[in-house]
Amino acid sequence: MPVQNRQVSFKSIRYARYIIPVLFSIFFVWSVISTGISINDLINGYPNLADFIGCMFPPAWDVFIPLLYPALETIQMAFLGTVFAVILSVPVALLAASNISPSKPVKVFARGIIATTRTIPDIAFALIFVSAVGLGPFPGILALSIHSVGMLGKLYAEAIEEIDPGPVEAVEAVGASKLQAIYYAVIPQVTPSFVATTLYRFDTNVRSSIVLGLVGAGGIGFELIMAMRLFRYHEMSTILIIIFIVVMFAEWASNYIRVHVIGEEVLK
Amino acid sequence: MLTVTHLSKKLPDGKQLLRDINFSVERGEFVAILGLSGTGKTILLRCLNGLTIPDGGEVILNSNGDPLRITGSNSSRMREIRQQTGMIFQNFNLVKRRSVIENVMIGKLGKIGTFQSIFRKFSNEDIESGHRALERVGISDLSHRRAGTLSGGEQQRVAIARSIIQDPALLLADEPVANLDPTASEFVMEHLRSISIDNNISTLAVLHQPELARKYATRILGVRDCIIVYDGSANISDNDFKTIYGSTYNASAE
Ligand SMILES: Nc1ncnc2c1ncn2[C@@H]1O[C@H](COP(=O)(O)OP(=O)(O)OP(=O)(O)O)[C@@H](O)[C@H]1O
Ligand SMILES: [Mg+2]
Repeated sequence: MPVQNRQVSFKSIRYARYIIPVLFSIFFVWSVISTGISINDLINGYPNLADFIGCMFPPAWDVFIPLLYPALETIQMAFLGTVFAVILSVPVALLAASNISPSKPVKVFARGIIATTRTIPDIAFALIFVSAVGLGPFPGILALSIHSVGMLGKLYAEAIEEIDPGPVEAVEAVGASKLQAIYYAVIPQVTPSFVATTLYRFDTNVRSSIVLGLVGAGGIGFELIMAMRLFRYHEMSTILIIIFIVVMFAEWASNYIRVHVIGEEVLK
Repeated sequence: MLTVTHLSKKLPDGKQLLRDINFSVERGEFVAILGLSGTGKTILLRCLNGLTIPDGGEVILNSNGDPLRITGSNSSRMREIRQQTGMIFQNFNLVKRRSVIENVMIGKLGKIGTFQSIFRKFSNEDIESGHRALERVGISDLSHRRAGTLSGGEQQRVAIARSIIQDPALLLADEPVANLDPTASEFVMEHLRSISIDNNISTLAVLHQPELARKYATRILGVRDCIIVYDGSANISDNDFKTIYGSTYNASAE
C-alpha cells in the first residue's frame, strides 16, 4: 500500500512539473492581452510622464511645515484606528479561538466577523463612512478600526489557540471562573505575540490611512488628492516627500518599540 | 470524605484505561497512589476534580456534611467543588511569564469574585499568606522572580505553595517530588504530611518512590491494568510491590 501511494505521488509530481509552467504561461499571456498592457502606450505616453514629473520640480518647500499638520493627522488616524481595533479584536479573538470559545455557534459567528471585516477592503469601509459622517479623519478612523479587526482578530485567535493549556487548567482547578482563567493564564501567554501583531498593524495602518485620505478621509492623503485636483504639482512632490518620511517613521517607530522598549521585558 | 464508585475511563482511541475503580478516603488520610508509568494515575486524579470527565461511575466529595457529586455537576457547582480541592500538577502548570508570588496568589482566585480579581485586589492578609506559603516550601527569596526562570524543583515548590494557600479539604498531588533532590523530597513530603495532619486535609499523592510512600503515607493504592490491585496499609510487603510493578520488580534494589 505505501509503495503504491509513493508511485501515485511521484506520478503527480511529474505531471505537475509540466502542467504548472504551462498553466502559468497561458494565464500570463491571457492577462497581458486582456488587461491591455502595451509597450507602445508607455513609449507614446513618456513625454506626458516626463512633463508631469518636470512640473513637480522643484518641490514647494514653503508648504512643508504647514503640511506636517495633516501628516500628524495621518499618524493619529492610524494610532486611534489601531487602538479601537485592538479593543474590538480581543473579545472577538477570544470568542473565535477553539480552545476558549464558549460554544460552536459563537465561534462560527466570531469567525464570520473576522472573515467579513478582513475581506471588505478598508477603502470600501472609508467610502461608506465618508458618506455617512462626512469628510475628515473620523470616517478614516472608523474604517481602520473595523477593517483591522479582520487581521488582528485572526492572528490573536491563532496565538490563543497555540497557548499551553496547562496553566489555564491550573487556574480553573482552584475553582476560578472562565474570565479569571483568561485574565490570569491566557492573557500573560499571548501578550508577546499580541504586542508584535499590534505594532505591525499600526505600521500597516499608517500606509492605509494615507490611501484612505484619497477618498476624503483626512490626513496627508487628502492633501495629495486636493493638490492633484488643483494642479499644484510642486506641492504634490512636497507631499510625496512627507509621505516617505511618515512611512519610514512609522516603520522605524514600531520596530524600535518592539525591539528596545518592550523587547526585553515583554517578549520573553 | 471522598467516595469513588465504579469509575471507568476509556482513552479517545477506545482503549480501556480505568475500569470499575472503587475506593474512599477519610479525612486526614495520606494516600499514596503507586503504579507503572502510563497506567492512568494522572487521569484518575483529574477525574477527582472534574478536569477529566469519566465515562462512568461516580465521584462524591463530602467535606462539610453536604455531599457534592463531582460527576455531572454544572459549572458553578464544579467551581464550588474545586475550591475545596487543591491540585499539584505533574508538570506544575505555572504561568511562566508571571512572578512567583503572582502564581502563588492564583490559589486564592476561587474564593475571590471575578470582578475584584481582575483588578488584582488581593487582601493584605491573602498576600501575607502567599509569602508564608513560599517560606514554608523554602523559596521566600524567589517571590519576585519570573516563574519561567526557575529550575524544575523550584517551580514544583511554587506549585505546592499555590495549593497550600488554597487551603483545600482534599489535596491531589501528582508526583509532587519528581523534580526534587532527595533532601528536598524529604522536606516537601514532610511538609505535605504536616499540613495534612495540621489542617486535617485528605491527601492523594501519586509517587514513583515506594520508599517515600512507605515512610509518609498512611495508606497505599496500587493501580495496574485498569484496576486497583492493592488497597491497604503503607507498611506494604515486597510481594505486594510485585503485584503493582510486576514480578521483575526487585524491592531489595531500592
Ligand atoms: N488526552 C489524551 N489522549 C490520548 N491518550 C492520553 C491522553 N491523556 C493521557 N493519555 C494516555 O493515557 C495513559 C495514561 O496516562 P496518565 O498520564 O494518566 O499516566 P500516568 O499513570 O500518570 O503515567 P506517569 O507515571 O508516566 O505520569 C497514557 O498511555 C497516556 O498516553
Ligand atoms: Mg502521571
